[in-house]
Amino acid sequence: MTSAALNIDDSPMRSEAQLPANAFPLRARALTKSYGGRRVLDDVSLTLEPGSVLGLIGRNGAGKSTLIRALLGLIEIDSGSAQIFGEQALALGDRGKQQLGYVPQQPDALGWMEVAQMLEFVGRFYPAWDKAFVDATLERWRLPRDRVLAKLSPGERQRVELIRAIAIRPRLLVLDEPAAALDPVARRDLLREIALRANDDGTSVLFSTHIVSDLERVASHIAFLHEGRKLLEAPIDDLKELFARVSLPAALAAHGRVAGELHRRIHDAQGTSALTGAVSIIIERAPGEDWPAIVREPGVRLDALGLEDLFVEIAE
Amino acid sequence: MDVSVLVIQPSASEPIYRQIVGQLGRMIASGQLEPGELLPSVRDIAGFHAINPMTVSRAYSLLEAEGLLERLRGRGMAVAATPGRAHSEDRRLRLLEPHLLQIARQARELELGAEPVLRRLAELLEE
Repeated sequence: MTSAALNIDDSPMRSEAQLPANAFPLRARALTKSYGGRRVLDDVSLTLEPGSVLGLIGRNGAGKSTLIRALLGLIEIDSGSAQIFGEQALALGDRGKQQLGYVPQQPDALGWMEVAQMLEFVGRFYPAWDKAFVDATLERWRLPRDRVLAKLSPGERQRVELIRAIAIRPRLLVLDEPAAALDPVARRDLLREIALRANDDGTSVLFSTHIVSDLERVASHIAFLHEGRKLLEAPIDDLKELFARVSLPAALAAHGRVAGELHRRIHDAQGTSALTGAVSIIIERAPGEDWPAIVREPGVRLDALGLEDLFVEIAE
Repeated sequence: MDVSVLVIQPSASEPIYRQIVGQLGRMIASGQLEPGELLPSVRDIAGFHAINPMTVSRAYSLLEAEGLLERLRGRGMAVAATPGRAHSEDRRLRLLEPHLLQIARQARELELGAEPVLRRLAELLEE
């Protein structure tokens, strides 16, 4: 953002008049939230670095939507803090909101407007509004321009909202389960758009999904959320290179904790098969370090893990 | 080089940047990509494959550090004019490293020593 752009801004707000260009788009510390005695967020800390694409993976009900709403200051939290571009999320000013494109899972705003009418109306508030993208994508995603929003199917409604959120060319794009509303072609379009916006505008992106393969293409970072707790947060390449599964035969299973052990599963503990008592262990190593010596013992197997396997193993 | 030549498998356990490094490395070593040939921009690869641009940059930087690519001011990345090292035995052997590691792991799992494995490998190479 240039200083000239700041000078023509006649907003009386002070603090957000100069959002630090290098502030973290999102940063949360120890977020905790309970509903009716049930803890839906448990001490979750999360950081979205400028220009990164963070994929939030979790099963249905893991707390992804609640976490996103807490990060954006849309719900009150019991404890912890959430900041957007360095500002308290609950008190985000107009300038901060201008830079945020958010698509909830079930959008319901401005339902009485027609599709094209709403987009034209919203576009007026955003100087960088990308009308060419809107027109091309409405067509590509087969959305009727003159249908009233409230009469669209939930999937169509979310597609319109995705177009709106991308067209404002935000510095921060937050998408809650965007893939559910999209067919494979539109999904690829969306992922491509995320990749190109990250490249061209340095847009930072947070998106949640339970479809891991979407994340693997475009994410630079991954966080696993399970039962309200964050299990892991790391660059996606590290997840693939620094984690693995070690399978130990029963004879070696009595071996104590393995270096870097995160999770252990015993096969068929009560059974009598050849596999009985064998264990598989998820291990993590530090960058530049070798796997622990036990992986070179006879009969021991080391398997690299895809993201989905890793998630299933540690979230069971 | 056309961006569609790269094959990206997002779900593979090998990170995407390594897939790119491996494929471009092999194309350079085998002469499919010639010295001086311009490579597609980061944006073109990221856009075509819908992958993160930082992933592509990381692959390019690694190949540059290895001397296989060079950055041409204002024009992007090109295959290094003198990729001498690309054709060196050392370099070509390194392209096999992931597969050799895989064989070593599986041999250990099967409790096979070096001798029978190397004997069979030598036979295969002489075929």
